[in-house]
This record gives sequence, structure tokens and C-alpha cells, in this order.
Amino acid sequence: MRIVPLLKNSIVYIILLLVTLPIILLYTLLFLQSISVNLNGVIPNGFTLDHWSILSTGNIRVPGTTTQYYPNLYLVASNTFILAVIIAFTEVVLSSLAGYALSRYKFAGRSQILTLTLILHAFPGITLLIALFYVLNALGLYNSLIGVVIVKVALDLPLGIWIMKGFFDGIPWDIEMSALVDGCSRLGAWWRVIMPNVRNGLMAVLIFGFLSGWSEFIYVLTFIASQDYWTFSMFVYALTTGEYSYINPGITATVAIIYMIPVIIFFLFAQKYLLRIQIAGKSTV
Amino acid sequence: MRFSPKKFFVSNSFTRKLHKGYLYVFLLPSLGFIVVFFLIPVILTFLIGLTKMDYSFRWDWIGLGNYIYILRDKWAYKILGNTLFYVFTTLAFFNVGMALFISIATTHINDKIGSIFRSIWLLPRITPSTVYALLWLWAARGEANSLFNWLTSIFGLHPIDWKLTYPWLLVILVNGFVGTSFGMIIFTAALKSIPEDYIRAAKVDGASTLQIIRYVELPLIKWPLLFVTAYQTLSLLTSYEYILLVTDGGPGLYTTEVWALYSYHLAFAQYGGIVKFGYGAALATILVIIGLIMSVIYWKVFRFRELMVEPKIEV
Amino acid sequence: MVSVKLVNLSKYFHNVKAVDNLNLEIKDGEFVALLGPSGCGKTTTLLMIAGIYKPTNGYIYFDNRLMNDVPPKDRNVGMVFQSYALYPHMSVFDNIAFPLKLKKRPKDEIRRKVKEVADLLGIGELLDRKPSQLSGGQQQRVALARALVKEPDIFLMDEPLSNLDAKLRIQMRAELKKMQKTFKITTIYVTHDQVEAMTMADRIAVLNKGVLQQYGSPDELYNRPKNIFVAGFIGSVPMNFIRGALKRTNGDYILEGLDYLFKIPRTYHDVLKDIEVGTEVILGVRPEHVDIGFGEYSGKVYVVEPLGRDQIIHIDIGGEIIRALAPGDYKVEEGKDIKFSFKEDKIHIFDKKSGEAYI
Repeated sequence: MRIVPLLKNSIVYIILLLVTLPIILLYTLLFLQSISVNLNGVIPNGFTLDHWSILSTGNIRVPGTTTQYYPNLYLVASNTFILAVIIAFTEVVLSSLAGYALSRYKFAGRSQILTLTLILHAFPGITLLIALFYVLNALGLYNSLIGVVIVKVALDLPLGIWIMKGFFDGIPWDIEMSALVDGCSRLGAWWRVIMPNVRNGLMAVLIFGFLSGWSEFIYVLTFIASQDYWTFSMFVYALTTGEYSYINPGITATVAIIYMIPVIIFFLFAQKYLLRIQIAGKSTV
Repeated sequence: MRFSPKKFFVSNSFTRKLHKGYLYVFLLPSLGFIVVFFLIPVILTFLIGLTKMDYSFRWDWIGLGNYIYILRDKWAYKILGNTLFYVFTTLAFFNVGMALFISIATTHINDKIGSIFRSIWLLPRITPSTVYALLWLWAARGEANSLFNWLTSIFGLHPIDWKLTYPWLLVILVNGFVGTSFGMIIFTAALKSIPEDYIRAAKVDGASTLQIIRYVELPLIKWPLLFVTAYQTLSLLTSYEYILLVTDGGPGLYTTEVWALYSYHLAFAQYGGIVKFGYGAALATILVIIGLIMSVIYWKVFRFRELMVEPKIEV
Repeated sequence: MVSVKLVNLSKYFHNVKAVDNLNLEIKDGEFVALLGPSGCGKTTTLLMIAGIYKPTNGYIYFDNRLMNDVPPKDRNVGMVFQSYALYPHMSVFDNIAFPLKLKKRPKDEIRRKVKEVADLLGIGELLDRKPSQLSGGQQQRVALARALVKEPDIFLMDEPLSNLDAKLRIQMRAELKKMQKTFKITTIYVTHDQVEAMTMADRIAVLNKGVLQQYGSPDELYNRPKNIFVAGFIGSVPMNFIRGALKRTNGDYILEGLDYLFKIPRTYHDVLKDIEVGTEVILGVRPEHVDIGFGEYSGKVYVVEPLGRDQIIHIDIGGEIIRALAPGDYKVEEGKDIKFSFKEDKIHIFDKKSGEAYI
């Protein structure tokens, strides 16, 4: 008697599993690639930890040459980390300040600034690449990580402000009024009562900013010329499709997994923040 | 780490005067960034589009010359066709279609398992684009041991180079599996917010699960559906990162080239160092204008204005 | 403790007059209720007194000190919000201690005072909890404690009981009143519930659409409402309003309605002599002042609502239904004729157009 609904349910499960399978296989493949000698489909031919030996020196030599080296893995890692951290913190500070002002103060120009931010947050910044190149070049910021930071922050800010404003809007006015009656100034209430209650928003913007900076590819590709300033995205890109594209896939997979570590951490432990961003925010595709 | 505003603002009447003062401290840094690196580039894109600027950054004004050239550019028509094909196929099958399927399916099964499925679909979105593209490139390789060929060999098919044989399939799969998550999250949230009473009432009235989906749930998520469609159309129209990484517009000449990628190629990846900032910017200007118009439409249609609550404290 | 004086106080939001030219004096130690339906401007008035809103026009004085430009933190008021507005990230102790910390009181003094006020309100055991772990009634007490601990000059309460269940509300009503009488803090209490206002306040200011309707003791409001709005707002079972025209026959004033005539007692003739004959008026009489079973008027029993101790008898008098409050054991049957009369000294007559009371 309960067979029919059970059957219906299992059909749903099977279809879901089938459409989701490509994602599962792709990531399984990445992991297996880094610990296998060779792969046949998803079946490894022998396991090895050799690929992970790049961690010892961080140097990757292009096979068949003696002179060409990619930049050191640790240099790339620290570049990427510094870039992501600066972007994340700048975005948190700026968007929480502006989001607070826009959420909770009356002043001339407020509605214009709000309209502007809300319109820009949907606007694809990537279309401005040529003009940004011109601006960075004019400011002497071409081929510098600072240039990439500034561009990223500017283009992410409308979204960040919009998210933070949403969190500030969510704090009941009663609570702020109460703080004022209890003896706070407006700034005091901001620091002692409002900010502690938007921690989730700050975390969300921080994680979003970090991942966005950590993963950034196009701006690094376009605005960075020197290998000294490469980030992981460029490194992986070069290992995959660059000029010296032939290389041991095991090593490429290992580098890719190292690159994925923060992503995996956030994916496992901070997904609620990521979801919040997704709901509030735009997508890059 | 106590913040003491008293240090800065002493007396009450003084605070009142300075009130606007610290507001500027809150707002100006953000506004500065946005104006210099967002608004000015919008205008610059438009202006550069009126020149034949190259790597020397000289402003050689040619009026609407670039736009007239677009009309005579035989590749532009092909690329326009490519772009429309790419946007609507990806949108229909993945960003809206698959997203809708995943969210309906995962909200009608065990909640824990459903959320695990949704988590997996989130993974491509947060994976760095270069790694994600790498995964697909590996899977689509021509060698017999690549993932695709290994799978098709089960059905007795010969190995092929998927990138060369079916470049569009690859482009749409790569973008689609990333693009699904946005709609999935919005739809799931919308479906979960449907009051349980509506579903119960429909069940009491004798509706089957499919009828409930068709006559209760879908009509109730009409607005999110429209929102995702509009939003993702613009996103797809202007995005090129994954195409650049997977096919770079190839194989051959402009097979999978889309409008935004064409603009990028003209400006930054011309062989022989011919840099066409002017023409690239003209192409980008068209996207910028579409982007601005659509952003304003969201603003109006999706009533973003309602999010502009009036402040309630006047101190 | 201080007195509060509002002079020509107005607050406009864009073009909406939330509060319009309000004049009110609240004596030192007095318990005043601001009473009115939602949107009448009572909360806006309270927030102006707290300093959260700036008045569009007019002045606010504490004693003789003009407060318009004094920020809330320097007004030394304590306030309890409808939502309680407890700080979610602080423990109960920190919530109550917050006003004292801001005043930079020494740690041991803060500890002692918080303990004292918490014990007084019966929440001494809850000091380590977070607000989200408390019941509605407990949250309410924390909010009270936080407002009291700073020993405010004025105590402001915005619908503090409206989120409690009925039983707790009645209990808290008594506790609040007792507390106010003990500490003798000048208290302004906003409510839409006339029972709350009547039972607790020394004086009540009735507001409607931003305009003060009447300001007086509960007794004054009940027995001598100035207009039809106050008359209708005060009273558990609403006052009967009977429409008609004022007529004169044989030296008597009568109210002539659709199908009914009511005689107006001679004691009121002096007041009525200036009113033009034929003026549309409204006769007001409270259900508890309608005597049934005897008297000069009659109607048909329309429906009976038993309330336990009492019952409300609806009487159809032809075109109007009037309600009469009768003892619960009084026997009536629906559809039967019934005789009734009004207590002569308890009737009211209002002008239909202006709503002002003649009597």
C-alpha cells in the first residue's frame, strides 16, 4: 500500500542523484588525481603521495626545461592570502560604516545614495574592464596588488553596503532608542548596541570578501603583469592552459586542492553565511 | 578596545553641529571608492568608445566611428547570435530550469538529504573559477581515460575530444552548473516561505503532489521566478570568465565567442600586440547601457524602493 | 522627581500631523496615561519627551528647564518599550547594569544596585541568562528593572503590558501601580486599553488623530466626557449613542428619532435653551445606566449576551439597538417586549456635527 509513494520518492532521488553526479564526479576526480599515479576515468592506477612533495620547497619545474620555473608556491599563497585579507577587511569596514549611515540617518542625499548603491549592486562591474585598466594605468597602479584590491573593493562595495544595510535595518529601532534613553550618544549606541547585533552581517561580508578576493581571476589576469604578484588563480591558469601547459596533472591537482582549502573550510563550517550572501547578493555568472 | 565618542564630541550643541560631520566620515570612503572606480569608469567606457585608443592611451576621437564599424563587422553578427544562444540556452536549462527542478525536488524529500543536495550544488559557485574550469577541461579531454570518454565507453562509444567536437555543450555545462545555485537558493527560500496552510488546504481538496506544485507552489513563486530570470539574463550577458577559461572563444575563429569576451579580446588579447581599447570599449558600452537599463528596471519592477525605510531617530 | 510641561507641542511627519498643538501638564510624582487608538500620536508624544524625536513646534519642559535640545542621554528618563527592547547580546545582568555603566558608576555599586532592583522585581535568579531564554513576563520585568535602576526623574512606559497574557497583565497592572506609588516617580504611561488607563492612572489624557480630546481624572472622563469620542472610548461596554433631532413639545425637550421619542429631564433645560430646535443631536447613555423591567420606554429584546455576573441585553427600539447591563440572573427572553428607562442624571447629549457634549 505504501509502495506507490515510495516508488515515486525513489524516482525523485534517482533523478536528483543523476543530475548532481557530474559535480560529485568532478571533485572526486580532483582529489583522486592528486594521490594517484594515473587515472582511468575515476579508477586510480596506484596511489602515490609524490605530488604533494611540492609542499617541501614550493618550487615547480617545467618538465623538459632546466630554466623555466613557475613562481614559488609559497609566494603565490602569501600573495593570494594578503590580497584576500585586505579586500575582506576593507569591505567589512567600509560597508558597515556606510550601511549604518544609510540605514539609520536622515540627511540630504540619502535617498539618492541609496538608489545609486542599489542600482549599482546589480550592475556587472566586469564590463568596465577597459576603463578600469585606463584608470589604474593613469594612477600608476597597473601591475600592483593594490590596484586589484581597489578595483575589487569598489565593485563589491555596493553589494556589501546593501547587505550591511539590510542587517542594520533588521535591528529594531526600539533597541537603539532604548540605548539612547539609557544614556548612550548616537555613536555610543552604534558601537555598544548596534554593532554587536550585526555580527552575522559582518561575518557574511568578511567571508564573501575573502572568498571573492581569494578566487579573483580576471582582474589579476588583466591588471598584473609580473609573476611576482601572481595569485593562485593565475598559477592554476598557467598550469592548465598557459604557455607551459604540459605538466604532471597530479601536481596541478595538488595545487588546486591547496587553493581550495579556505573554500572547503568555509563550505563546511560557514555555509549559513554563504547562503546569506547568495540570497542578498548577485552572482558572478 | 572601548570606543569613546566623547573624546571627539564634547558638548551637546557641538555634537548636534558635528552630527553631519561624522556622517561624512562614515560615508565618504565608500563613496570615494564607488565614484572613482565605478562611476567614473562607466563614463570612461562610454568616452573611450568614441576614440580609437590603443596602448599609447591617446584620445583620438572618431565620434561614432566604432559603432558604425560594429555594423560592418561581419564577426559581430556571428558573435551576437552566439551570445543570444548562450544566454537563453544556459538560462532555460540551468539558471532557471535546473534551479527550479532542484529546489522543488529537494523541498519535497527528506529535509536533511535535500539540503545536502543543495550544498553540493553550491560547491561550483564558491570554487575558484580557474580550478572549476580545470576540472571540466580534464573531464572533457580527448584521451580514452578522461571522465567523459570513460563514461561513454561503458555504452561502447569511441573516445572523442569533447572540447573540439561539442564546444557549446561544454560551455553551457560549465556555466550552467555554476549558474544553477543562484536560482536554487532564491526558489528554495521562496518555496519554504509558503505557509503550510495553503499546502494542507490543497491536500484536503484532494490535490496530488504534482497538482500542488503546479497550482499552488509555482503561482506563489512567480515573482522570484521573474527576478531570477531578469537578474541572470544580465549576468550571463556580461559574463565571460568561464568561457575564457574553457574554450577562450574557440575552437577555431569565434566559435564560442560571446559579446563580452569579444570586447575583452580586442582590448587585452590581440595577437601581434594590436590593442583596440576604443573598439572594445564601444562593444562594452552597449553592455553597460543594457546593464544600466536592466538595473533600473529591477529597481522599479522589484520595488527595491520599499527597502528604503525611513529612519526613526532624530537625535 | 520633576514635573513635565508640554506647550503647543506638534510633530509632523512630512504632511501628516502625528501630534497637533498638544498642551499638557504632568505634576511631580503623578501617574498620567496617554490613551487613544493606534496612530493617535501617543507614542510619538512619549518619544518626544524621551528626546528621540524632535518636536516640529512647541516646547517640552522638565520643571522649568526647556528640554527641546537636550539629547536623550541627558534627560534622565527611564523607559519601558512595548517590545521591551532588551539588548540581545547582553545577559540580564548586563542589560540592567547598562545605564549605570554609562554613568561610569563604580563596579561594586553597579553590582549592588542591579541585585537590589532585580530582587525587588523577582528576577534575581535570572541574572546570568540571555534575554532570548526568558519568558515574556520575565523580559518585561528585566525591562522594568533596567528603567528603574538608574533612578530616573521620569518613568516612560509605552504599552508595557500589551504583549503579556490576560492573567499576567492584570497582575502586573497592580504591581506597576503599587511600585509607582512607592517610588513616587513621575510616570507617563501610553496605552490603547482604557481599562489599564482607568485602573492605574491619576489622570488620563485622551488623544485622537494627534489632538488632545480631554485631560482629567478617570472619574471625570467616565462621568463627564467632553465629546462623543471620549464618551465612546471610555467604558468597558461602550456607551449607547441614539441619533435624533432635538424637539420641543409642551415645554419639554424631546429627542425625536426614527421610531422613538425620548424625553430629556427638566434639570437640563437650562443648558439646552440656547440650542436651535431641530438640531441633530446624539443622546448618550451607558449600558449600566439603562434600567430594565420597568419605566416609560419599551422595545423588543434582540439578543442577550451573558457575561457571568452580568448580562448585556440588546433592545431593538426601532432603527436603533441599545445595550443594557443587567444582573446575570435577570430573566429575559429574546423576541419579547421589554420596558426600560434611563437614569436621569446619567444621560449625555452631544452635538452631532461637532461631537461636543452639551450635557
